[in-house]
Amino acid sequence: MSTEERIELTVVARRAGVRIALVRRYLEFGLFEAEAEAGAEETPRYDPQSAARVAQAERLRRDLGLNYAGAVLVCELLDRIKELEGRR
Amino acid sequence: MALAYTDYYEVLGVPRDADQDAIRRAYRKLARTYHPDLNSDSDAEDRFKELGEAYEVLSDPDKRERYDRLGAGWREQERQAPDSSFEEFFDGHGFGGGDTRFEFSDDLFERLFGGRAGAGGRGWGEQARGPLRGFDREALLELSLEDALEGGRRRLTLDGRDIDVNFPAGVRDGQLIRLAGQGGAGRDGGPSGDLYLRIALKPHPDFRPRGEDDLDVDLLVAPWQAALGATVAVKTPTGTAQIRVPAGSSSGRRLRLRGRGLPGAGGRSGDLHAIVKITVPKDLTDRERELYEQLAEAATAEASA
Repeated sequence: MSTEERIELTVVARRAGVRIALVRRYLEFGLFEAEAEAGAEETPRYDPQSAARVAQAERLRRDLGLNYAGAVLVCELLDRIKELEGRR
Repeated sequence: MALAYTDYYEVLGVPRDADQDAIRRAYRKLARTYHPDLNSDSDAEDRFKELGEAYEVLSDPDKRERYDRLGAGWREQERQAPDSSFEEFFDGHGFGGGDTRFEFSDDLFERLFGGRAGAGGRGWGEQARGPLRGFDREALLELSLEDALEGGRRRLTLDGRDIDVNFPAGVRDGQLIRLAGQGGAGRDGGPSGDLYLRIALKPHPDFRPRGEDDLDVDLLVAPWQAALGATVAVKTPTGTAQIRVPAGSSSGRRLRLRGRGLPGAGGRSGDLHAIVKITVPKDLTDRERELYEQLAEAATAEASA
């Protein structure tokens, strides 16, 4: 887990180099999640890793002809592989 | 733009008379194999770019025909076209009727209307456009325990590029250091990815890691020190410390020095465990031998009493 401060959705988009609509789309598909503790008045904040994650999903989607759900699924499977490899 | 000649048929592993379906199938399969998000080999990114380039040419009948006809020089005509921005294009350059033959190439078209996808893999048309951040990369940084405790600087060479890295004091085995913008290049003006350095601590001759931030070290004591108790010097990662060995300590006894292990997260340092290891001198003086013999007699008498 990163120690860097949580960031807003616009920052996620800027760091991923994509438009915010695309970031929202991946959010709807559950690629990443908002920090649970954000109050109703506050702007939701996200893990800074989210930008790299959005970029990864988008690269996979574009390069391999996947749809959004497929790209998100591949990202999740890659996480699991990494976890399993780390456990050895 | 690749200057060296690459055999695109070889890259895709298809015969020169392969039809469009075969080319597409070969590309899709190889793209899944070498996609840098799915393949952690260091040359995967280059292979993937090459695939994208090969597919871009061979999947387009016009480009393929030109490539087949001109081979290595197939891009020459494009290179002679003004490599210019939109402004220059409409500024009148290139229309002068001079010796520069102007060709409204696909390449230029792409530059004007949507830009080139830098990382290739454009087999799916329109959706493969627009800026996008580059790959995050990971590399290993091997450090000695002393270096990890002190912090410092290293020069790494990655893909022929020198990168100076500062690592803070107290980095741990397995810790990731993020170097922003040092990863793969972004596409179409997107930001670069990050480089993550994974710290790997080299085995140390004296200190063995124990759990998160504790360390084990052997504490060599003489038999009489172990029997009678003594204060002896022990090596710590930052120097030496004095430790009291209680009377009657056998080999394997663990003596803890609080806070002398590795600096922990949140300012609390780990502990150093000095493990008693009774060491018998190899050569005894006459006097010592005499005393050991007396000790042996006394101990035997005690045991049989």
